[in-house]
Amino acid sequence: MTRRSAVAWVAAAALLAGLPLVVKNSFFLHVCILVFLWTVLGEAWNALGGYAGQVSFGHAAFFGVGAYVTIVLFLKADVAPWWGIPVGGAAAAAFAVPFGLITFRLKGPYFSLATLAVAELTKLVALNWEWATNGSTGYLVTHLPPLRLGGLTVDWETKTPFYLAALSLLVVAMGTIGWLSRSRLGAWLTAIRENDEAAEAVGIDTVRAKVLTLALSAFLAGMGGGFYAFYFRYVDPDAVLNIGLSMEMVFIAMVGGLGTVGGPFIGAVFLTTVGEAMREKFQVGHLVFYGLFMMLVIRFLPEGIWGRVRRAIRRAPAVEVSRGAA
Amino acid sequence: MALLEVEGLTRFFGGLRAVGDLTFGVEPGEILGLIGPNGAGKTTVFNLVTGFVRPSGGKVRLAGRDVTGLKPHRLARMGIARTFQIVKPFPGLPVRENVTLAAFLRHPRRSHAEAAADEILGRLGLAARAGTLAGQLTLMDQKRLEMAKALATGPRVLLLDEPMGGLNPAEVDQASELVLGIRASGVTVVLVEHVMKAIMRMSDRVLVMRQGERIALGAPAEVVRDPEVIAAYFGKRAA
Repeated sequence: MTRRSAVAWVAAAALLAGLPLVVKNSFFLHVCILVFLWTVLGEAWNALGGYAGQVSFGHAAFFGVGAYVTIVLFLKADVAPWWGIPVGGAAAAAFAVPFGLITFRLKGPYFSLATLAVAELTKLVALNWEWATNGSTGYLVTHLPPLRLGGLTVDWETKTPFYLAALSLLVVAMGTIGWLSRSRLGAWLTAIRENDEAAEAVGIDTVRAKVLTLALSAFLAGMGGGFYAFYFRYVDPDAVLNIGLSMEMVFIAMVGGLGTVGGPFIGAVFLTTVGEAMREKFQVGHLVFYGLFMMLVIRFLPEGIWGRVRRAIRRAPAVEVSRGAA
Repeated sequence: MALLEVEGLTRFFGGLRAVGDLTFGVEPGEILGLIGPNGAGKTTVFNLVTGFVRPSGGKVRLAGRDVTGLKPHRLARMGIARTFQIVKPFPGLPVRENVTLAAFLRHPRRSHAEAAADEILGRLGLAARAGTLAGQLTLMDQKRLEMAKALATGPRVLLLDEPMGGLNPAEVDQASELVLGIRASGVTVVLVEHVMKAIMRMSDRVLVMRQGERIALGAPAEVVRDPEVIAAYFGKRAA
Protein backbone atom coordinates (compact mmCIF):
# COMPACT_ATOMS: atom_id res chain seq x y z
CA MET A 1 0.00 0.00 0.00
CA THR A 2 1.31 3.46 -0.82
CA ARG A 3 1.56 6.00 1.98
CA ARG A 4 -1.06 8.16 0.30
CA SER A 5 -3.68 5.43 0.17
CA ALA A 6 -2.90 4.44 3.77
CA VAL A 7 -3.57 8.03 4.85
CA ALA A 8 -6.79 8.02 2.84
CA TRP A 9 -8.00 4.83 4.55
CA VAL A 10 -7.21 6.14 8.05
CA ALA A 11 -8.93 9.46 7.26
CA ALA A 12 -12.02 7.63 5.98
CA ALA A 13 -12.19 5.51 9.16
CA ALA A 14 -11.80 8.62 11.36
CA LEU A 15 -14.54 10.44 9.45
CA LEU A 16 -16.89 7.48 9.84
CA ALA A 17 -16.08 7.29 13.57
CA GLY A 18 -17.07 10.95 13.99
CA LEU A 19 -20.34 10.57 12.09
CA PRO A 20 -22.61 9.81 15.10
CA LEU A 21 -21.54 13.12 16.70
CA VAL A 22 -23.18 14.94 13.80
CA VAL A 23 -25.93 12.62 12.65
CA LYS A 24 -28.54 11.75 15.28
CA ASN A 25 -31.08 10.10 12.96
CA SER A 26 -31.23 6.60 14.37
CA PHE A 27 -32.62 5.00 11.19
CA PHE A 28 -29.64 6.37 9.28
CA LEU A 29 -27.26 4.97 11.90
CA HIS A 30 -29.12 1.65 11.73
CA VAL A 31 -28.55 1.50 7.97
CA CYS A 32 -24.85 2.31 8.51
CA ILE A 33 -24.57 -0.50 11.06
CA LEU A 34 -26.15 -2.93 8.61
CA VAL A 35 -23.79 -1.79 5.88
CA PHE A 36 -20.76 -2.28 8.16
CA LEU A 37 -21.95 -5.71 9.29
CA TRP A 38 -22.62 -6.84 5.73
CA THR A 39 -19.25 -5.50 4.66
CA VAL A 40 -17.53 -7.58 7.35
CA LEU A 41 -19.39 -10.67 6.14
CA GLY A 42 -18.68 -9.86 2.50
CA GLU A 43 -14.96 -9.41 3.28
CA ALA A 44 -14.97 -12.72 5.14
CA TRP A 45 -16.52 -14.52 2.20
CA ASN A 46 -14.28 -12.70 -0.27
CA ALA A 47 -11.09 -14.02 1.36
CA LEU A 48 -12.03 -17.52 0.32
CA GLY A 49 -14.37 -16.94 -2.62
CA GLY A 50 -12.70 -13.94 -4.23
CA TYR A 51 -9.00 -14.53 -3.62
CA ALA A 52 -8.84 -18.33 -3.50
CA GLY A 53 -11.75 -18.86 -5.92
CA GLN A 54 -13.45 -21.36 -3.59
CA VAL A 55 -17.14 -20.53 -3.74
CA SER A 56 -18.74 -21.33 -0.39
CA PHE A 57 -22.52 -21.52 0.00
CA GLY A 58 -22.15 -22.35 3.68
CA HIS A 59 -20.77 -19.29 5.42
CA ALA A 60 -23.93 -18.95 7.52
CA ALA A 61 -22.51 -21.83 9.58
CA PHE A 62 -19.60 -19.66 10.76
CA PHE A 63 -21.86 -16.68 11.36
CA GLY A 64 -24.15 -18.95 13.41
CA VAL A 65 -21.37 -20.55 15.45
CA GLY A 66 -20.05 -17.08 16.30
CA ALA A 67 -23.51 -15.84 17.25
CA TYR A 68 -24.31 -18.85 19.45
CA VAL A 69 -20.95 -18.97 21.22
CA THR A 70 -21.06 -15.24 21.95
CA ILE A 71 -24.61 -15.23 23.27
CA VAL A 72 -24.28 -18.43 25.30
CA LEU A 73 -21.08 -17.14 26.91
CA PHE A 74 -22.93 -13.96 27.81
CA LEU A 75 -26.09 -15.56 29.16
CA LYS A 76 -24.48 -18.53 30.97
CA ALA A 77 -21.09 -17.17 32.01
CA ASP A 78 -21.54 -13.40 31.99
CA VAL A 79 -18.82 -12.91 29.41
CA ALA A 80 -19.11 -9.34 28.15
CA PRO A 81 -19.67 -8.78 24.43
CA TRP A 82 -16.27 -7.18 23.82
CA TRP A 83 -14.66 -10.47 24.91
CA GLY A 84 -17.43 -12.73 23.67
CA ILE A 85 -17.38 -11.49 20.07
CA PRO A 86 -13.70 -12.32 19.42
CA VAL A 87 -14.11 -15.63 21.26
CA GLY A 88 -17.12 -16.36 19.03
CA GLY A 89 -14.93 -15.60 16.02
CA ALA A 90 -12.21 -17.93 17.33
CA ALA A 91 -14.79 -20.68 17.87
CA ALA A 92 -16.02 -20.26 14.30
CA ALA A 93 -12.39 -20.48 13.08
CA ALA A 94 -11.87 -23.69 15.08
CA PHE A 95 -15.10 -25.06 13.61
CA ALA A 96 -13.82 -24.14 10.12
CA VAL A 97 -10.84 -26.51 10.32
CA PRO A 98 -12.80 -29.81 10.24
CA PHE A 99 -15.35 -28.11 7.94
CA GLY A 100 -12.52 -27.35 5.51
CA LEU A 101 -10.79 -30.71 5.81
CA ILE A 102 -14.08 -32.36 4.82
CA THR A 103 -15.22 -30.02 2.05
CA PHE A 104 -11.83 -29.28 0.45
CA ARG A 105 -11.57 -32.91 -0.59
CA LEU A 106 -13.92 -31.76 -3.34
CA LYS A 107 -13.24 -29.20 -6.03
CA GLY A 108 -15.22 -26.58 -7.93
CA PRO A 109 -19.02 -26.91 -7.86
CA TYR A 110 -18.76 -30.09 -5.77
CA PHE A 111 -16.99 -28.10 -3.07
CA SER A 112 -19.73 -25.45 -3.19
CA LEU A 113 -22.47 -28.05 -2.80
CA ALA A 114 -20.61 -29.71 0.06
CA THR A 115 -20.41 -26.39 1.94
CA LEU A 116 -24.15 -25.96 1.47
CA ALA A 117 -24.73 -29.44 2.89
CA VAL A 118 -22.45 -28.95 5.90
CA ALA A 119 -24.12 -25.62 6.69
CA GLU A 120 -27.57 -27.22 6.57
CA LEU A 121 -26.33 -30.01 8.83
CA THR A 122 -25.06 -27.39 11.26
CA LYS A 123 -28.51 -25.83 11.31
CA LEU A 124 -30.16 -29.20 11.98
CA VAL A 125 -27.74 -29.84 14.81
CA ALA A 126 -28.54 -26.41 16.29
CA LEU A 127 -32.27 -27.18 16.08
CA ASN A 128 -31.85 -30.50 17.87
CA TRP A 129 -29.15 -29.95 20.47
CA GLU A 130 -31.51 -28.14 22.79
CA TRP A 131 -29.15 -28.39 25.79
CA ALA A 132 -26.69 -26.15 23.96
CA THR A 133 -28.81 -24.02 21.66
CA ASN A 134 -32.28 -23.98 23.22
CA GLY A 135 -33.52 -25.51 19.95
CA SER A 136 -35.92 -23.53 17.80
CA THR A 137 -36.78 -21.22 20.72
CA GLY A 138 -33.32 -19.70 20.65
CA TYR A 139 -31.87 -17.15 23.03
CA LEU A 140 -32.98 -13.66 23.91
CA VAL A 141 -30.78 -10.95 25.44
CA THR A 142 -32.92 -8.92 27.83
CA HIS A 143 -30.33 -6.54 29.23
CA LEU A 144 -26.85 -5.42 28.32
CA PRO A 145 -24.13 -4.98 30.94
CA PRO A 146 -23.38 -1.42 32.03
CA LEU A 147 -20.09 -0.15 30.68
CA ARG A 148 -18.06 2.93 31.60
CA LEU A 149 -15.45 4.22 29.22
CA GLY A 150 -13.35 7.30 30.06
CA GLY A 151 -15.83 8.40 32.73
CA LEU A 152 -18.82 8.14 30.39
CA THR A 153 -21.55 5.58 30.85
CA VAL A 154 -22.34 3.86 27.59
CA ASP A 155 -25.99 4.24 26.68
CA TRP A 156 -27.06 0.95 25.07
CA GLU A 157 -30.43 2.44 24.15
CA THR A 158 -28.85 4.60 21.45
CA LYS A 159 -27.34 3.32 18.23
CA THR A 160 -23.97 4.98 18.82
CA PRO A 161 -22.17 2.20 20.74
CA PHE A 162 -23.31 -0.38 18.19
CA TYR A 163 -22.28 1.91 15.38
CA LEU A 164 -18.76 2.21 16.82
CA ALA A 165 -18.52 -1.52 17.49
CA ALA A 166 -19.61 -2.34 13.93
CA LEU A 167 -17.12 0.20 12.59
CA SER A 168 -14.33 -1.44 14.61
CA LEU A 169 -15.21 -4.82 13.12
CA LEU A 170 -15.22 -3.21 9.68
CA VAL A 171 -11.72 -1.82 10.23
CA VAL A 172 -10.49 -5.21 11.45
CA ALA A 173 -12.05 -7.02 8.48
CA MET A 174 -10.83 -4.62 5.81
CA GLY A 175 -7.41 -4.42 7.45
CA THR A 176 -7.15 -8.22 7.49
CA ILE A 177 -8.17 -8.59 3.87
CA GLY A 178 -5.90 -5.70 2.88
CA TRP A 179 -3.02 -7.49 4.56
CA LEU A 180 -4.03 -10.79 2.93
CA SER A 181 -4.10 -9.26 -0.54
CA ARG A 182 -0.45 -8.20 -0.16
CA SER A 183 0.86 -11.26 1.66
CA ARG A 184 2.48 -14.37 0.30
CA LEU A 185 -0.59 -16.32 1.40
CA GLY A 186 -2.73 -14.00 -0.73
CA ALA A 187 -0.46 -14.59 -3.73
CA TRP A 188 -0.73 -18.33 -3.16
CA LEU A 189 -4.51 -18.07 -3.08
CA THR A 190 -4.49 -16.34 -6.46
CA ALA A 191 -2.39 -19.21 -7.82
CA ILE A 192 -4.89 -21.72 -6.40
CA ARG A 193 -7.76 -19.81 -7.99
CA GLU A 194 -6.02 -19.75 -11.37
CA ASN A 195 -4.96 -23.41 -11.44
CA ASP A 196 -4.93 -25.72 -8.44
CA GLU A 197 -2.61 -28.36 -9.97
CA ALA A 198 -0.12 -25.81 -11.25
CA ALA A 199 -0.11 -24.27 -7.78
CA GLU A 200 0.80 -27.64 -6.23
CA ALA A 201 3.49 -28.10 -8.88
CA VAL A 202 5.25 -24.88 -7.87
CA GLY A 203 5.33 -25.96 -4.24
CA ILE A 204 2.16 -24.48 -2.79
CA ASP A 205 0.47 -26.58 -0.10
CA THR A 206 -2.97 -25.94 -1.54
CA VAL A 207 -4.99 -27.76 1.13
CA ARG A 208 -3.20 -25.98 3.96
CA ALA A 209 -3.55 -22.56 2.29
CA LYS A 210 -7.27 -23.15 1.73
CA VAL A 211 -7.93 -24.38 5.28
CA LEU A 212 -5.98 -21.45 6.77
CA THR A 213 -7.95 -19.00 4.65
CA LEU A 214 -11.22 -20.66 5.57
CA ALA A 215 -10.33 -20.32 9.26
CA LEU A 216 -9.49 -16.64 8.79
CA SER A 217 -12.70 -16.13 6.84
CA ALA A 218 -14.71 -17.96 9.52
CA PHE A 219 -13.13 -15.84 12.25
CA LEU A 220 -14.41 -12.65 10.59
CA ALA A 221 -17.83 -14.15 9.83
CA GLY A 222 -18.07 -15.48 13.41
CA MET A 223 -17.34 -12.04 14.87
CA GLY A 224 -20.05 -10.69 12.58
CA GLY A 225 -22.40 -13.29 14.07
CA GLY A 226 -21.42 -12.32 17.62
CA PHE A 227 -22.11 -8.67 16.87
CA TYR A 228 -25.45 -9.59 15.31
CA ALA A 229 -26.45 -11.43 18.49
CA PHE A 230 -26.00 -8.30 20.60
CA TYR A 231 -27.42 -5.85 18.10
CA PHE A 232 -30.61 -7.77 17.40
CA ARG A 233 -30.55 -9.44 20.85
CA TYR A 234 -32.06 -12.61 19.48
CA VAL A 235 -30.45 -15.78 18.19
CA ASP A 236 -32.23 -18.82 16.78
CA PRO A 237 -31.36 -21.24 13.97
CA ASP A 238 -33.60 -19.48 11.44
CA ALA A 239 -32.01 -16.11 12.14
CA VAL A 240 -28.31 -16.99 12.27
CA LEU A 241 -27.96 -20.27 10.37
CA ASN A 242 -30.18 -19.34 7.47
CA ILE A 243 -29.08 -20.28 3.96
CA GLY A 244 -30.15 -16.78 2.91
CA LEU A 245 -27.25 -15.38 4.92
CA SER A 246 -24.78 -17.52 3.00
CA MET A 247 -26.26 -16.33 -0.28
CA GLU A 248 -26.16 -12.64 0.66
CA MET A 249 -22.47 -12.94 1.50
CA VAL A 250 -21.86 -14.37 -1.98
CA PHE A 251 -23.91 -11.62 -3.62
CA ILE A 252 -22.23 -8.79 -1.70
CA ALA A 253 -18.76 -9.93 -2.71
CA MET A 254 -19.83 -10.53 -6.33
CA VAL A 255 -21.71 -7.27 -6.77
CA GLY A 256 -18.92 -5.30 -5.12
CA GLY A 257 -16.01 -7.04 -6.75
CA LEU A 258 -14.45 -10.47 -6.27
CA GLY A 259 -10.94 -10.43 -4.87
CA THR A 260 -10.89 -6.74 -3.97
CA VAL A 261 -10.66 -5.08 -0.55
CA GLY A 262 -13.10 -2.25 -1.31
CA GLY A 263 -15.62 -4.39 -3.19
CA PRO A 264 -17.65 -5.81 -0.31
CA PHE A 265 -18.19 -2.31 1.13
CA ILE A 266 -19.62 -1.11 -2.18
CA GLY A 267 -21.65 -4.30 -2.47
CA ALA A 268 -23.02 -3.88 1.06
CA VAL A 269 -23.95 -0.23 0.43
CA PHE A 270 -25.82 -1.08 -2.75
CA LEU A 271 -27.57 -4.14 -1.43
CA THR A 272 -28.54 -2.61 1.91
CA THR A 273 -29.90 0.59 0.39
CA VAL A 274 -31.64 -1.13 -2.51
CA GLY A 275 -32.95 -3.78 -0.14
CA GLU A 276 -34.28 -1.28 2.41
CA ALA A 277 -35.74 1.09 -0.22
CA MET A 278 -37.58 -1.72 -1.95
CA ARG A 279 -38.78 -3.10 1.37
CA GLU A 280 -40.44 0.27 2.08
CA LYS A 281 -42.12 0.52 -1.33
CA PHE A 282 -43.15 -3.10 -1.80
CA GLN A 283 -43.82 -4.96 1.41
CA VAL A 284 -44.58 -8.07 -0.57
CA GLY A 285 -42.14 -9.29 -3.17
CA HIS A 286 -39.36 -6.76 -2.58
CA LEU A 287 -36.82 -9.56 -2.94
CA VAL A 288 -37.70 -9.72 -6.65
CA PHE A 289 -36.03 -6.34 -7.18
CA TYR A 290 -33.11 -7.39 -5.11
CA GLY A 291 -32.64 -10.41 -7.38
CA LEU A 292 -33.14 -8.33 -10.52
CA PHE A 293 -30.41 -5.93 -9.40
CA MET A 294 -28.10 -8.86 -8.82
CA MET A 295 -28.75 -10.28 -12.29
CA LEU A 296 -28.04 -6.94 -13.94
CA VAL A 297 -24.70 -6.61 -12.16
CA ILE A 298 -23.62 -10.17 -12.91
CA ARG A 299 -24.65 -9.75 -16.57
CA PHE A 300 -23.13 -6.33 -17.23
CA LEU A 301 -20.42 -5.95 -14.57
CA PRO A 302 -19.04 -9.45 -14.01
CA GLU A 303 -16.00 -8.07 -12.19
CA GLY A 304 -18.29 -6.18 -9.78
CA ILE A 305 -18.85 -2.48 -9.29
CA TRP A 306 -15.60 -1.78 -7.46
CA GLY A 307 -13.66 -4.10 -9.76
CA ARG A 308 -14.90 -2.12 -12.78
CA VAL A 309 -14.16 1.27 -11.19
CA ARG A 310 -10.70 0.16 -10.16
CA ARG A 311 -9.90 -0.99 -13.68
CA ALA A 312 -11.07 2.36 -15.06
CA ILE A 313 -8.79 4.20 -12.62
CA ARG A 314 -5.80 2.01 -13.38
CA ARG A 315 -6.18 2.12 -17.13
CA ALA A 316 -4.75 5.63 -17.51
CA PRO A 317 -1.24 4.94 -16.13
CA ALA A 318 -1.15 1.56 -17.90
CA VAL A 319 -1.49 3.29 -21.28
CA GLU A 320 1.44 5.57 -20.48
CA VAL A 321 3.65 2.62 -19.65
CA SER A 322 2.97 0.85 -22.93
CA ARG A 323 3.58 4.07 -24.87
CA GLY A 324 6.91 4.47 -23.09
CA ALA A 325 7.89 0.90 -23.94
CA ALA A 326 7.06 1.39 -27.61
CA MET B 1 24.99 -42.42 -6.59
CA ALA B 2 22.03 -41.53 -8.75
CA LEU B 3 20.28 -38.30 -7.82
CA LEU B 4 16.84 -39.70 -8.57
CA GLU B 5 16.23 -43.42 -8.22
CA VAL B 6 13.10 -45.26 -9.26
CA GLU B 7 12.80 -48.85 -8.13
CA GLY B 8 10.08 -51.31 -9.07
CA LEU B 9 7.61 -48.47 -9.67
CA THR B 10 4.12 -49.80 -10.44
CA ARG B 11 0.75 -48.21 -11.00
CA PHE B 12 -2.57 -49.77 -11.84
CA PHE B 13 -5.60 -47.86 -13.11
CA GLY B 14 -8.33 -50.37 -12.36
CA GLY B 15 -7.22 -53.52 -14.18
CA LEU B 16 -4.84 -51.67 -16.48
CA ARG B 17 -1.19 -51.67 -15.54
CA ALA B 18 0.03 -48.26 -16.71
CA VAL B 19 3.51 -48.68 -15.24
CA GLY B 20 4.96 -52.03 -14.21
CA ASP B 21 8.04 -52.74 -12.14
CA LEU B 22 10.00 -49.86 -13.63
CA THR B 23 13.55 -49.29 -12.38
CA PHE B 24 15.99 -46.60 -13.46
CA GLY B 25 18.31 -43.94 -12.03
CA VAL B 26 19.05 -40.39 -13.09
CA GLU B 27 22.67 -39.29 -12.65
CA PRO B 28 23.37 -35.78 -11.40
CA GLY B 29 23.80 -33.32 -14.28
CA GLU B 30 22.61 -35.60 -17.05
CA ILE B 31 19.75 -35.32 -19.49
CA LEU B 32 17.79 -38.55 -19.46
CA GLY B 33 15.43 -38.96 -22.39
CA LEU B 34 12.25 -40.95 -21.81
CA ILE B 35 10.65 -42.28 -24.99
CA GLY B 36 8.15 -44.87 -26.07
CA PRO B 37 5.07 -45.27 -28.23
CA ASN B 38 1.85 -43.51 -27.22
CA GLY B 39 0.38 -45.09 -24.11
CA ALA B 40 3.73 -46.46 -22.94
CA GLY B 41 3.26 -44.78 -19.55
CA LYS B 42 5.71 -41.90 -19.82
CA THR B 43 3.42 -39.24 -18.41
CA THR B 44 2.27 -41.62 -15.68
CA VAL B 45 5.91 -42.04 -14.64
CA PHE B 46 6.13 -38.24 -14.34
CA ASN B 47 2.92 -38.13 -12.32
CA LEU B 48 4.21 -40.86 -10.00
CA VAL B 49 7.63 -39.27 -9.48
CA THR B 50 6.19 -35.80 -8.86
CA GLY B 51 3.43 -36.96 -6.51
CA PHE B 52 0.38 -36.17 -8.64
CA VAL B 53 -0.50 -39.88 -8.71
CA ARG B 54 0.30 -42.29 -5.89
CA PRO B 55 2.22 -45.42 -6.87
CA SER B 56 0.56 -48.82 -6.39
CA GLY B 57 4.03 -50.16 -5.56
CA GLY B 58 7.73 -49.43 -5.72
CA LYS B 59 9.99 -46.67 -4.45
CA VAL B 60 11.15 -43.23 -5.52
CA ARG B 61 14.31 -41.84 -3.90
CA LEU B 62 15.79 -38.38 -4.17
CA ALA B 63 19.47 -38.25 -3.20
CA GLY B 64 19.01 -41.48 -1.26
CA ARG B 65 15.93 -40.32 0.63
CA ASP B 66 12.64 -42.15 0.22
CA VAL B 67 10.09 -39.71 -1.18
CA THR B 68 7.51 -42.22 -2.42
CA GLY B 69 3.93 -40.97 -2.30
CA LEU B 70 4.67 -37.47 -1.00
CA LYS B 71 2.44 -34.63 -2.17
CA PRO B 72 3.58 -32.52 -5.15
CA HIS B 73 4.22 -29.41 -3.04
CA ARG B 74 6.48 -31.36 -0.67
CA LEU B 75 8.43 -32.77 -3.60
CA ALA B 76 8.74 -29.31 -5.16
CA ARG B 77 10.23 -28.06 -1.90
CA MET B 78 12.68 -30.97 -1.91
CA GLY B 79 13.76 -30.09 -5.43
CA ILE B 80 11.67 -32.02 -7.93
CA ALA B 81 9.97 -29.73 -10.46
CA ARG B 82 7.95 -30.53 -13.56
CA THR B 83 6.25 -29.05 -16.56
CA PHE B 84 2.97 -30.28 -18.00
CA GLN B 85 2.46 -31.63 -21.50
CA ILE B 86 -0.73 -29.58 -21.70
CA VAL B 87 0.61 -26.32 -20.28
CA LYS B 88 -0.88 -25.12 -17.01
CA PRO B 89 -0.17 -21.40 -16.63
CA PHE B 90 -2.02 -19.10 -14.21
CA PRO B 91 -3.88 -17.68 -17.23
CA GLY B 92 -5.37 -14.53 -15.73
CA LEU B 93 -2.08 -13.27 -14.27
CA PRO B 94 0.83 -11.54 -16.00
CA VAL B 95 3.84 -13.65 -16.99
CA ARG B 96 6.02 -12.05 -14.32
CA GLU B 97 3.49 -12.81 -11.58
CA ASN B 98 3.25 -16.42 -12.80
CA VAL B 99 6.97 -16.89 -12.25
CA THR B 100 7.01 -14.84 -9.03
CA LEU B 101 4.40 -17.17 -7.51
CA ALA B 102 6.75 -20.08 -8.18
CA ALA B 103 9.78 -18.15 -6.87
CA PHE B 104 7.98 -17.57 -3.54
CA LEU B 105 8.91 -21.16 -2.68
CA ARG B 106 12.57 -20.16 -2.15
CA HIS B 107 12.12 -16.41 -1.58
CA PRO B 108 9.49 -15.53 1.04
CA ARG B 109 9.85 -11.78 0.42
CA ARG B 110 8.02 -10.47 -2.63
CA SER B 111 10.88 -8.20 -3.73
CA HIS B 112 13.32 -11.13 -3.69
CA ALA B 113 10.86 -13.42 -5.47
CA GLU B 114 10.31 -10.80 -8.17
CA ALA B 115 14.05 -10.35 -8.66
CA ALA B 116 14.47 -14.12 -9.04
CA ALA B 117 11.57 -14.19 -11.49
CA ASP B 118 13.08 -11.39 -13.59
CA GLU B 119 16.39 -13.22 -13.78
CA ILE B 120 14.69 -16.39 -15.04
CA LEU B 121 12.47 -14.51 -17.50
CA GLY B 122 15.61 -12.95 -18.98
CA ARG B 123 17.31 -16.32 -19.22
CA LEU B 124 14.37 -17.91 -21.03
CA GLY B 125 13.78 -15.00 -23.39
CA LEU B 126 10.49 -13.92 -21.83
CA ALA B 127 11.55 -10.52 -20.46
CA ALA B 128 9.65 -8.67 -23.20
CA ARG B 129 6.48 -10.60 -22.30
CA ALA B 130 6.67 -9.93 -18.53
CA GLY B 131 3.50 -7.83 -18.50
CA THR B 132 1.43 -10.01 -20.85
CA LEU B 133 -1.33 -12.16 -19.38
CA ALA B 134 -0.15 -15.77 -19.47
CA GLY B 135 -3.34 -16.91 -21.21
CA GLN B 136 -2.55 -14.68 -24.19
CA LEU B 137 0.92 -16.05 -25.00
CA THR B 138 1.81 -18.00 -28.15
CA LEU B 139 2.33 -21.75 -27.63
CA MET B 140 6.12 -21.36 -27.78
CA ASP B 141 6.04 -18.68 -25.11
CA GLN B 142 3.65 -20.78 -23.01
CA LYS B 143 6.20 -23.60 -23.16
CA ARG B 144 8.89 -21.13 -22.10
CA LEU B 145 6.70 -19.95 -19.23
CA GLU B 146 6.09 -23.53 -18.17
CA MET B 147 9.88 -24.02 -17.89
CA ALA B 148 10.34 -20.63 -16.21
CA LYS B 149 7.82 -21.51 -13.49
CA ALA B 150 9.46 -24.87 -12.88
CA LEU B 151 12.94 -23.31 -12.72
CA ALA B 152 11.76 -20.61 -10.33
CA THR B 153 11.10 -23.29 -7.70
CA GLY B 154 14.86 -23.91 -7.59
CA PRO B 155 14.82 -27.60 -8.60
CA ARG B 156 17.59 -30.19 -8.50
CA VAL B 157 15.74 -32.39 -10.97
CA LEU B 158 13.46 -31.00 -13.64
CA LEU B 159 11.00 -33.26 -15.45
CA LEU B 160 9.96 -31.83 -18.80
CA ASP B 161 6.86 -33.36 -20.36
CA GLU B 162 6.99 -32.81 -24.13
CA PRO B 163 8.43 -29.28 -24.13
CA MET B 164 8.54 -29.41 -27.94
CA GLY B 165 5.10 -30.88 -28.60
CA GLY B 166 3.23 -28.78 -31.16
CA LEU B 167 6.17 -26.53 -32.03
CA ASN B 168 7.48 -25.88 -35.56
CA PRO B 169 11.05 -26.91 -36.51
CA ALA B 170 12.55 -23.49 -35.80
CA GLU B 171 10.87 -23.42 -32.39
CA VAL B 172 12.06 -26.97 -31.67
CA ASP B 173 15.64 -25.72 -32.09
CA GLN B 174 14.95 -22.83 -29.71
CA ALA B 175 13.42 -25.19 -27.16
CA SER B 176 16.45 -27.52 -27.44
CA GLU B 177 18.75 -24.59 -26.68
CA LEU B 178 16.64 -23.76 -23.61
CA VAL B 179 16.83 -27.33 -22.30
CA LEU B 180 20.61 -27.49 -22.85
CA GLY B 181 20.91 -24.13 -21.09
CA ILE B 182 18.95 -25.43 -18.10
CA ARG B 183 21.25 -28.45 -17.83
CA ALA B 184 24.29 -26.19 -18.14
CA SER B 185 22.99 -24.21 -15.14
CA GLY B 186 23.36 -27.38 -13.04
CA VAL B 187 19.85 -28.79 -13.11
CA THR B 188 19.41 -32.49 -13.88
CA VAL B 189 16.80 -33.06 -16.59
CA VAL B 190 14.40 -35.87 -17.41
CA LEU B 191 12.80 -35.29 -20.78
CA VAL B 192 9.75 -36.90 -22.38
CA GLU B 193 9.65 -36.07 -26.05
CA HIS B 194 8.30 -37.35 -29.34
CA VAL B 195 10.59 -35.24 -31.51
CA MET B 196 13.22 -37.97 -32.04
CA LYS B 197 15.89 -35.84 -33.66
CA ALA B 198 15.89 -33.50 -30.67
CA ILE B 199 15.86 -36.16 -27.97
CA MET B 200 18.59 -38.23 -29.63
CA ARG B 201 20.80 -35.18 -29.95
CA MET B 202 20.30 -33.83 -26.44
CA SER B 203 20.04 -36.88 -24.18
CA ASP B 204 23.04 -38.45 -22.49
CA ARG B 205 21.04 -41.62 -22.04
CA VAL B 206 17.65 -42.73 -23.27
CA LEU B 207 15.12 -44.89 -21.47
CA VAL B 208 12.66 -46.65 -23.77
CA MET B 209 9.30 -47.78 -22.42
CA ARG B 210 6.60 -49.98 -23.88
CA GLN B 211 3.34 -50.86 -22.16
CA GLY B 212 4.58 -49.53 -18.86
CA GLU B 213 7.85 -51.46 -18.88
CA ARG B 214 11.43 -50.58 -19.54
CA ILE B 215 12.71 -52.23 -22.71
CA ALA B 216 16.03 -50.41 -23.11
CA LEU B 217 18.27 -47.94 -21.32
CA GLY B 218 21.53 -46.60 -22.70
CA ALA B 219 23.27 -44.12 -24.94
CA PRO B 220 21.05 -42.88 -27.81
CA ALA B 221 23.21 -44.52 -30.50
CA GLU B 222 22.98 -47.94 -28.79
CA VAL B 223 19.30 -47.71 -28.05
CA VAL B 224 18.27 -47.06 -31.66
CA ARG B 225 20.00 -50.27 -32.75
CA ASP B 226 18.29 -52.36 -30.06
CA PRO B 227 16.02 -54.92 -31.79
CA GLU B 228 13.36 -54.64 -29.08
CA VAL B 229 13.19 -50.86 -29.52
CA ILE B 230 12.89 -51.18 -33.29
CA ALA B 231 10.16 -53.78 -32.78
CA ALA B 232 8.30 -51.47 -30.40
CA TYR B 233 8.27 -48.64 -32.91
CA PHE B 234 8.11 -50.39 -36.29
CA GLY B 235 6.83 -53.88 -35.51
CA LYS B 236 8.54 -57.28 -35.22
CA ARG B 237 9.30 -57.70 -38.93
CA ALA B 238 11.34 -54.50 -39.07
CA ALA B 239 13.52 -55.78 -36.24
